[in-house]
Amino acid sequence: MAVIDANPAALDQQYELRRRRYVKMGLIWLAVIAFVAWCVNGTIIEDTDWSRIGGRSGVLSSIGRYLSLDLGLLPELLIPTLETFMMASVGTVLGCFLSLPVAWLGAANVTPSKTILYPLGRFLMVLSRSVHEIVWALLFVSAVGLGALPGILAIAMRSVGFISKISAEAIENIDTKPVEAIRAVGGSQFQVMYYGILPQIYPVVLATVIFEWDINIRRSAVMGLVGAGGLGLLFFRQMNSFNYGGVTMVILAILFLIIIGEIISHYLRKAVI
Amino acid sequence: MTDQTANSIPARKWSRFKYPDSLYKYGTLLIVLVFLGYSFHFLNIDITRLFGALGRLMGVVSDRYYPPDLEYVLDKGYLAAILDTLQMSFLGGFAGVCIAIPLAWFSAANVSPARALFPVGRLGVIFCRAIHETIWTILFVSILGFGMLAGVSALTMFCIGFAGKLFADEIEAIEMGPVEAMRAAGANPFQVFLFAVVPQVRVAFTGIAIYTWDVAFRAATVVGFFGGGGMGWYLKRNVQQLENLRVAAIILSIIAMVLIAEFLSGYLRSAVNRAK
Repeated sequence: MAVIDANPAALDQQYELRRRRYVKMGLIWLAVIAFVAWCVNGTIIEDTDWSRIGGRSGVLSSIGRYLSLDLGLLPELLIPTLETFMMASVGTVLGCFLSLPVAWLGAANVTPSKTILYPLGRFLMVLSRSVHEIVWALLFVSAVGLGALPGILAIAMRSVGFISKISAEAIENIDTKPVEAIRAVGGSQFQVMYYGILPQIYPVVLATVIFEWDINIRRSAVMGLVGAGGLGLLFFRQMNSFNYGGVTMVILAILFLIIIGEIISHYLRKAVI
Repeated sequence: MTDQTANSIPARKWSRFKYPDSLYKYGTLLIVLVFLGYSFHFLNIDITRLFGALGRLMGVVSDRYYPPDLEYVLDKGYLAAILDTLQMSFLGGFAGVCIAIPLAWFSAANVSPARALFPVGRLGVIFCRAIHETIWTILFVSILGFGMLAGVSALTMFCIGFAGKLFADEIEAIEMGPVEAMRAAGANPFQVFLFAVVPQVRVAFTGIAIYTWDVAFRAATVVGFFGGGGMGWYLKRNVQQLENLRVAAIILSIIAMVLIAEFLSGYLRSAVNRAK
């Protein structure tokens, strides 16, 4: 914060700086608004077939189709919900195991070779996060076939990026004294990892894994759309048979599952930290 | 230490966790492991296939997806689709952030304007977050028809959920001094928000908004897969036609675009942090 000075020259300078900042902010906002206008023109005005949507009544009647709940679907929801939950859990645990070596390679202070393996670890983290889970699922469906397995693998691959990034940052920020102590008493590389590094990063990593598990429940609910099982498959079927009430039921099941996941992860995180 | 004291203390084995703690810890671990084991059984997963899966992925990629048909992604129609994706993500992110700010204000426990609005904000954000962007896309496509309007709407919902939570966390972490000063001076809740909360969170909000665009771009690459327009539409078409080399090229282009977006958002965020 600038100190207000009685000196008129300094005051003028303050005003000048402030004016320049306003001009700059104004220009940035103008650019953002112009860009938004261009996007609206490109995506919404030119690309939309308004006659097909059919005005307000058309939209309201299409929304209304979703509101008649199909309660008969209730017994069929139980097993896919459980499947989705399990897919998310197994996928997270698998992702956790896969991210261990990636975090090891991608942490600057413990990586075995800074020139080759460190960039490789960083690249794997970015790769895992930049490919969307749907694309991972597509790849795994073509590699291992339909079922829960490709869903689990897709979730695992997608989780690796986030978990290993946070873990690598945690490893880089550790206190080096325990590591040195274990080295000094003759600990092997593995013992240094296990007794020097792991206890320090364990709370951070566990909290991250729980957070990722929470997100993975959402992700596993859509894996079925591209051929892996769970609620997504049921959603896909209901949508394709135009049973809109059933679609709403599936969405409610997803919401229910996610609220349970939030509650569990809330308590688990409290227990960990 | 004399012999006497050494004898009076019974030899105990050291353990990191004492009795009740250790019971809870290992009990939880046991429950988790049993649940995971049962999941494998329930989902009917073949462990050997699981371990071979990454190798198989490599094999499939090198057999069917190599070499990527790079000429296809340099096609004019596809480049226009990339631009569409960019526009959709920007618009979705912008609209989402604009809606998320009031919702975050309602759902921040410390400055929420009214007791009745608190659950509205909380539940609104949770609802938008809970449903995956692809499901939003499918719903909007069935209501609004194919095209980018559905994609933008879906991305808006996604961004409300994503940014709303981060915004609310940011608002809940502010310093309460200015808020109390404004309240003591008789400001209404909106004035409190505008003059006591916004100046504190301005920089953080800008950073979050840029990050939201980055995440929305990642999501925008696949909304087209379910009819939302943009790059995903090309992905869907080529997946269904089994044009694997083109699919590989599209996935590579998605990775490249996401990397550019991530780099850009990182640069902008650091610029915002420097300029504050």
